[in-house]
Amino acid sequence: MDSALLLDDVHHAFGGHRPDARPALSGMSLAVAPGEVVAMIGLNGAGKTTALRVLTGRLRPTSGTARVLGHDPARLPAGAALRFGHVVGAALVDPALTVTENLRVAAELHGVAHAGAGAAASAVAERLDLVPWAHARARALSLGNAQRLGVACAVVHSPAAFVLDEPTSALDPRGVVLVRELVRERAAAGAAVLVSSHHLDEVARVADRVLAVHGGRVVGSLTPDEAELERRFFDLVLAADTAALPAGSRRSA
Amino acid sequence: MTVLRTALRVEAIAWRRSTVQRLATPLLIALVPVASIGLTTLARSGAVGGAGAAKLADYAAGDPATTHLVAAGQILSVAVLMAGGFAVAATFGQPLADGRAGAYFGLTTPRGTLAFARGLVVLGWAAACVAGAVAVTVGASAAVAATTDAPFGPAAWAAAGRALAAGLLAAGLALPFAAVATATRSPLATVGALIGVVGLTQVVVLVGAGAWFPYAVPSLWTGTGGPDAAADVGGAAVAITAAVAPVGAALVVVQWRRLTDV
Repeated sequence: MDSALLLDDVHHAFGGHRPDARPALSGMSLAVAPGEVVAMIGLNGAGKTTALRVLTGRLRPTSGTARVLGHDPARLPAGAALRFGHVVGAALVDPALTVTENLRVAAELHGVAHAGAGAAASAVAERLDLVPWAHARARALSLGNAQRLGVACAVVHSPAAFVLDEPTSALDPRGVVLVRELVRERAAAGAAVLVSSHHLDEVARVADRVLAVHGGRVVGSLTPDEAELERRFFDLVLAADTAALPAGSRRSA
Repeated sequence: MTVLRTALRVEAIAWRRSTVQRLATPLLIALVPVASIGLTTLARSGAVGGAGAAKLADYAAGDPATTHLVAAGQILSVAVLMAGGFAVAATFGQPLADGRAGAYFGLTTPRGTLAFARGLVVLGWAAACVAGAVAVTVGASAAVAATTDAPFGPAAWAAAGRALAAGLLAAGLALPFAAVATATRSPLATVGALIGVVGLTQVVVLVGAGAWFPYAVPSLWTGTGGPDAAADVGGAAVAITAAVAPVGAALVVVQWRRLTDV
């Protein structure tokens, strides 16, 4: 089956070709099939957000290939954009607009017809329990409600593929469950979902596959139901670091 | 056209709700007539002497209604540029500074169309404020004229027309600062550039080249530099000044199409 979301051998360094350039991606490759939830976990600075920025077209990599629904994300045609959503960093939310206005605006910008934007906004507001704040300005929302609004704006048009960066970092336990259920529902309906997180136990609950990211690339794959996920993750990180050391400086096990 | 209509609708909602708009609209529409009529009244009251009286001398003679509207045009030619500059600094610079611009990628509404719509909305708003400020000044001046048996004749209407035209030209001059906001990704740097251009304009006028410098044209055309300087502003200079807005809009659309590393 073709991948809905794809990164193939992507390299990127901030600072271009300058001597002090900082490599952020060093051969990042991943693929997400329709109906699949893939989670990326990694330490701070591992390259997760940079990878997601490439995948959403916000950053043109030094080399490598990125594809969203078969297209270059930096030049996504309208037909593909209609089926794609993302939250990486700041969401498609205007702090001066109300929750309902933001959802309607997001729906229209994602290609939902003006006549259908209200219904799409109401449906996702109900699904993510945003109705009590429907008329509140986004800037007045708590951090958790604002994060749920951001996720809602990214999926208001029921995309076939979407990308969420740390989607539950500010949520209370109930909010975490709401977003998790939403992700699983959309995947069951055939959507390809890529999420990044620091929280191993959370990704274990939501993902079909977990990719350990370290040093700007995927260093291994984990299955969410395996025992001692945390230890396995650190084993992969340690192995990657050890492999990266010059041969003479490695300690024997 | 559907995509542009969507972008215009979305940008209009966002601008209607923005704090910059809520502050600037009443300031432009109310303060311009108050300042115009106030300065004229002050100049004719004899209450100001010395250097202040010399600065207000142009407002102390002639029929009051025409003077009100000449003053309105002079104030608008600077105030609308400043308000429009702040508006594009906020609307184009802030989303790039806080990262919200990253959410404009991967939408069915292209970024270039969003930028074009954003520029049009700000320009339309500034034009509406100019029209509102001139209309309120005309109304207030006509009321003053009626109560003092002063005339409100063709000269006053001509001054109102020039105030309207100068204000619209000044509104268009704000659009290139959207390109500055995009290039610097900073609303504060944009405001700095705006202040810099206003300062540069003063220098250009001082050395006598203002009649051909677009950022000086609206102000000189309304008589800020005196009647001779106003007469030096020809149709070609006005046309060049009017061309700044479409050039600025085209530039910012290209910038937003090519945006990366957001």
